[in-house]
Amino acid sequence: MTEVNNRPEQEAQDDVIVISDLNKWYGDFHVLKDINLTVKKGERIVICGPSGSGKSTMIRCINRLEEFQRGSLVVDGIEMIDDVKNIEAIRRDVGMVFQHFNLFPHLTILENLTLGPIWVQKKPKDEAEAIAMKYLERVKIANQASKYPGQLSGGQQQRVAIARSLCMSPQIMLFDEPTSALDPEMVKEVLDVMIELAEEGMTMLCVTHEMGFAKKVADRVIFMDGGEIVEQNTPDTFFANPETDRLQLFLSQILEH
Amino acid sequence: MSSSSHHTTRVFEPKPSQPAPVTAAGPIAWLRNNLFAGPLNSITTLVIVAFFLWAIPPLLDWLLWSADFSGTTQQDCTSSGACWVFIQAWSQQLFYGSFPDTEIWRINLTLVLLALVLSSPYWLPHHLRNRLDLALLVIFPFVAIAILDGRILGLEYVSTDFWGGFSLNLLLASASIILGMPLGFLWALGRRSNMPMARSISVILIEFFRGVPVLALFFMGSVMLPLFFPEGTNVDKLLRVWIVLTLFMAGYMAEVYRGGFQAIPNGQYEASAALGLSYWQTTLLVILPQVIKVSMPNILATSIMLFKNTTFLLIIGIFEVLSTAQTALTNSNWLGGYATEAYLFVGVVYWICCFGMSRVAANIEKKLDTSHQS
Ligand SMILES: Nc1ncnc2c1ncn2[C@@H]1O[C@H](COP(=O)(O)OP(=O)(O)OP(=O)(O)O)[C@@H](O)[C@H]1O
Ligand SMILES: [Mg+2]
Repeated sequence: MTEVNNRPEQEAQDDVIVISDLNKWYGDFHVLKDINLTVKKGERIVICGPSGSGKSTMIRCINRLEEFQRGSLVVDGIEMIDDVKNIEAIRRDVGMVFQHFNLFPHLTILENLTLGPIWVQKKPKDEAEAIAMKYLERVKIANQASKYPGQLSGGQQQRVAIARSLCMSPQIMLFDEPTSALDPEMVKEVLDVMIELAEEGMTMLCVTHEMGFAKKVADRVIFMDGGEIVEQNTPDTFFANPETDRLQLFLSQILEH
Repeated sequence: MSSSSHHTTRVFEPKPSQPAPVTAAGPIAWLRNNLFAGPLNSITTLVIVAFFLWAIPPLLDWLLWSADFSGTTQQDCTSSGACWVFIQAWSQQLFYGSFPDTEIWRINLTLVLLALVLSSPYWLPHHLRNRLDLALLVIFPFVAIAILDGRILGLEYVSTDFWGGFSLNLLLASASIILGMPLGFLWALGRRSNMPMARSISVILIEFFRGVPVLALFFMGSVMLPLFFPEGTNVDKLLRVWIVLTLFMAGYMAEVYRGGFQAIPNGQYEASAALGLSYWQTTLLVILPQVIKVSMPNILATSIMLFKNTTFLLIIGIFEVLSTAQTALTNSNWLGGYATEAYLFVGVVYWICCFGMSRVAANIEKKLDTSHQS
């Protein structure tokens, strides 16, 4: 389906995320159990599952917002080890969008976007602002550049948060339930931005229960339950022919609403 | 939308404020609503008005109508009212201490610089603000010392024995607040740190300087601080006091910041980490401004407390404003009990300064408030 699949000899190089036998505990509580997941460049992955199944924990391991105790994780060829240099290098490649936006309330929208480019990438202010304005145009919010986050609606804030990540030109974007803190009427404006991003070929891992979005853009849908990846498939098969009972139950629960 | 959107965080949407309903406006309605809302309320109002009618005329009479304003010596105070001549005669001492007449411009210059530094966010060009504000603040105490002491600048040397009066209270308090605030922030960071060493040192410092009364600290400062300086160096008394006040301020500020830190949601750290900001970048660019913002009321309260505590210095023989007033009261040319005038004057001057500080802080708070349409 993707360009990558036409050139199998390059496959190994095109694996941007390789998670092998990843395990994580909170004290005695085994949150992630032998997670294995390989993501190719340009692949769009949707992750779903019941509350507490470890979806957030898993994607937060990818940029080291969470540590793990066993297994290995390689992002864009960089091994995730307990070393500041490696962690910094990985974070430069990975953008993240949160459920609650997490914009910096004391900075204007423009300053929110330029903070990373100026301080992390050491870009000159003019250049950082030009890039920021470009992405604000893309998420259709350029006219709000001088406002503060508190003055924007939830949907607008989440689009700003996406633009803020994009300003760092990440190779991979992680989304953790980006629309579930939004009022229903604002969900679409955020999903539209994400769909556009997917169409441009961004590698995306997205925890969401927006099944319409999954059907439309996902290359693969992953179902997690009890800290395990229970099932993964193309969206067509995933929704039409769920293999496990657990997924059937989960789908019936979320679709009956 | 599917109900899987279990977390329903509603975003606060400000609406324009509306004028009060017409029925509740106007002076008569105001009186009825606020002063005569019921029998008990009306009686209270009448009692308070009666008290004012009884107390205010004699007070005004003493303060103004029968008071003496002109003259230079005790003999000019003949009436039954207050003797403001006393304050006038001692005003230079009360404000500048024993600083030589010809050098008083140096104190004035320092105070003007202080005002300029404190107001720098208002007049500095926007692009310089964040960079210069802090630098200006932190170098101010040292510039002030250079100007007042004079030796480095080739001015006449004025020993700290001659510094005094209200200007000394002002300068000591500002110098301690200015250095105590960042120091307290470092201690607060240390307390939150993962490094056991940094954490225990910070906790000890914070608890010590918060737990010991400031007076005891002053005495310890005179006895103990010299032990930390090389043998034989005579450490200036004012310098010791300044160090003690700074550490005292830092201890209190560390506690104030601790409350501020707790108000910062974890998401702010996570978003900073995801952007790749380092620990210090996150702390200084993302967390510090928000901590300052939520702590503003407590920062102000602590600053005012410190400013008022500078009057304790009279006990260790530093000629700040209150001890100058006492000197004036025991002066043989002015025997006769002008204590009321003296303490009232000091009290009012202090009150004006503290009130001014809280106005400025309210202004800053408003400026920092980015949560709704402005
Ligand atoms: N800091 C923590 N300490 C202990 N347990 C935790 C911690 N954070 C998460 N957990 C537990 O780990 C499990 C997985 O949490 P996680 O947030 O990854 O779930 P999730 O699949 O994202 O769920 P949701 O849909 O509610 O966001 C949950 O049972 C949660 O209670
Ligand atoms: Mg989650």
